[in-house]
Amino acid sequence: MNGRKTVWDHLFTLLVTAIYLFLMSPILLVVILSFNAGEFLSLPIEGMSLRWFVALFHNTRFLDATLHSLLLAAVAAVVNGVIGTLAAIYVVRFAGPRLANPLRLLMSAPLLVPEILTAIALLFYFFELGVGNNYGLAIQVGHIIVTFPYVFLNVSSALFNFDRSQEEAARSLGAGGWMTFRRVTLPAVKPGLITGCLFAFVISFDIFNISLLLKSVGMNTLPLELFDYLRFNFDPTAAAIATVSIGVTFVAVVIVDRTVGLRSLRF
Amino acid sequence: MTTLTLDGIDKFYGDLHILKDINLEVGQGEFISLLGPSGCGKTTTLRCIAGFEPIDRGRLLFGTREMTNVAPEHRDLGMVFQSYALFPHMTVAENLAFGLEVRKVAPAERAARIAKVLEMVRLAGYEGRFPRELSGGQQQRVALARALVIEPAVLLLDEPLANLDAALRDDMRFFIRDLQQRVGITTIYVTHDQSEALVMSDRIVVMEKGVVAQCGTPKEIYERPASRMVAGFIGHSDVIEGTVLGREGAMIVVETAAGRLRAHGPEAVSGPVHLMIRPEKLRPGLAENAMTGRVKKAVYQGSALLVVVELPSGQEISALLDADAAVAVGAELTLGFAARHGWVIAR
Repeated sequence: MNGRKTVWDHLFTLLVTAIYLFLMSPILLVVILSFNAGEFLSLPIEGMSLRWFVALFHNTRFLDATLHSLLLAAVAAVVNGVIGTLAAIYVVRFAGPRLANPLRLLMSAPLLVPEILTAIALLFYFFELGVGNNYGLAIQVGHIIVTFPYVFLNVSSALFNFDRSQEEAARSLGAGGWMTFRRVTLPAVKPGLITGCLFAFVISFDIFNISLLLKSVGMNTLPLELFDYLRFNFDPTAAAIATVSIGVTFVAVVIVDRTVGLRSLRF
Repeated sequence: MTTLTLDGIDKFYGDLHILKDINLEVGQGEFISLLGPSGCGKTTTLRCIAGFEPIDRGRLLFGTREMTNVAPEHRDLGMVFQSYALFPHMTVAENLAFGLEVRKVAPAERAARIAKVLEMVRLAGYEGRFPRELSGGQQQRVALARALVIEPAVLLLDEPLANLDAALRDDMRFFIRDLQQRVGITTIYVTHDQSEALVMSDRIVVMEKGVVAQCGTPKEIYERPASRMVAGFIGHSDVIEGTVLGREGAMIVVETAAGRLRAHGPEAVSGPVHLMIRPEKLRPGLAENAMTGRVKKAVYQGSALLVVVELPSGQEISALLDADAAVAVGAELTLGFAARHGWVIAR
């Protein structure tokens, strides 16, 4: 092939751009609609306004739901950060060749099993235990389980690609097991760990089925609240909350990429 | 003075007997190479010394201190790995400081020692660089510096030059040997490269299938190999089969298909033997131990002419002659060697 671009190359670029525009347009549309000055979620918008953002911050139901969702996601990310890392260390380092693959599959199961089935199973499980939907325990456990594979897989791949002679070097330099882990192993898997936790957080923030079945009476998560709201209202408040959550996610991803990088995703 | 003793070390992986009764005494400041083909147990031996592999039988002593079951972090060793194993998230200075921090060396002394060692490996001014910003050879020297800065009792090197390109490898051989001499540190060096072992070591331990095949100075190993395997592993050699007829003074007379040849060899050798000659010791037209055959190949190698001669028995022997030697392919050629250059090995 020579370096000159043919007509076909340009047509292909055009096609790819068109496909991406088509895929991205709903998100763009929501953002545009949230600045609508009019009363309804409809196009074309009737002038620019921030009134629906103001409405949003006066809507206590939305604010409560957002708070719940953030809390659920934060706890899921932190808990998975710990147990996902421990599980990855066990599977990669100690499970042995015969156990490692079945375990890896088992740990990834929440990704493979439909979320609604996980939700139903947990519902039965917690009612059998006598806890039911109380204390917000069932929903939190559900969120942790569904987002667990993101941390586990990211940390596993970081550990798998890690040159273990670095640990041996640390030992030969006089460091004990804990110091070696803290100063050498943990920094090596940190990008994978942070990426995994970020994913757990974002996915948890977005979960619908699990939350629908397992939430306590009287509480709501943001996706559920949004769904309830849209059943009876059709004003741009919904678009405003969507814009805010897109913004929050985007900022989080940019911060992580700038600080630790999303390199460990490229495996 | 003995700094390191391996006393009858055995090592098993399941049913596999990896190391069989390894015995070795290393003196203060000695440079010992463990040499052998891959899978011979040389790296396992090094890892047993380092403490990364438990020893199943036998004892390991540092001086008079029993080290057999001591954890690696308490052995006071410096180790350089084939992959260098530098900590990628730390700068050069931080990599070097690691072992000193663990030893609770005060910050001021730490900095002084790091500066001194970096000077020694010619990397002064590289303190703030990260390993990924260095070339392979520089990373190699940082790994060496990191192992030396803790002033360990013994320095262990696991094929440290295997990942470098040929020219740099040659430089680093002399660099490491020179550094080792200046610091005077006892060193165990694992390699599969015989020329590396020859130029760097005080003594070479040739290993094969988990056994020490021979232990001696480079000259001993090269000129008087204990077995055919050692002869074949170190340098090139011509090997002629024969039978010992008797002795003439210090020389052994061997009856071979190429005639009756004289060479030296160990005291007790008798019966069927291999007679080994190094190709560079064969001389054209020499009457002593003369063998005549037809030239099959003559390859100009720049510094020498490689000649392959087919003897009437069908055996081929190769000789390294002067590059200017007039040799015609297909012609008859008589090659001889001085009896003191031949070496008899029991078959």
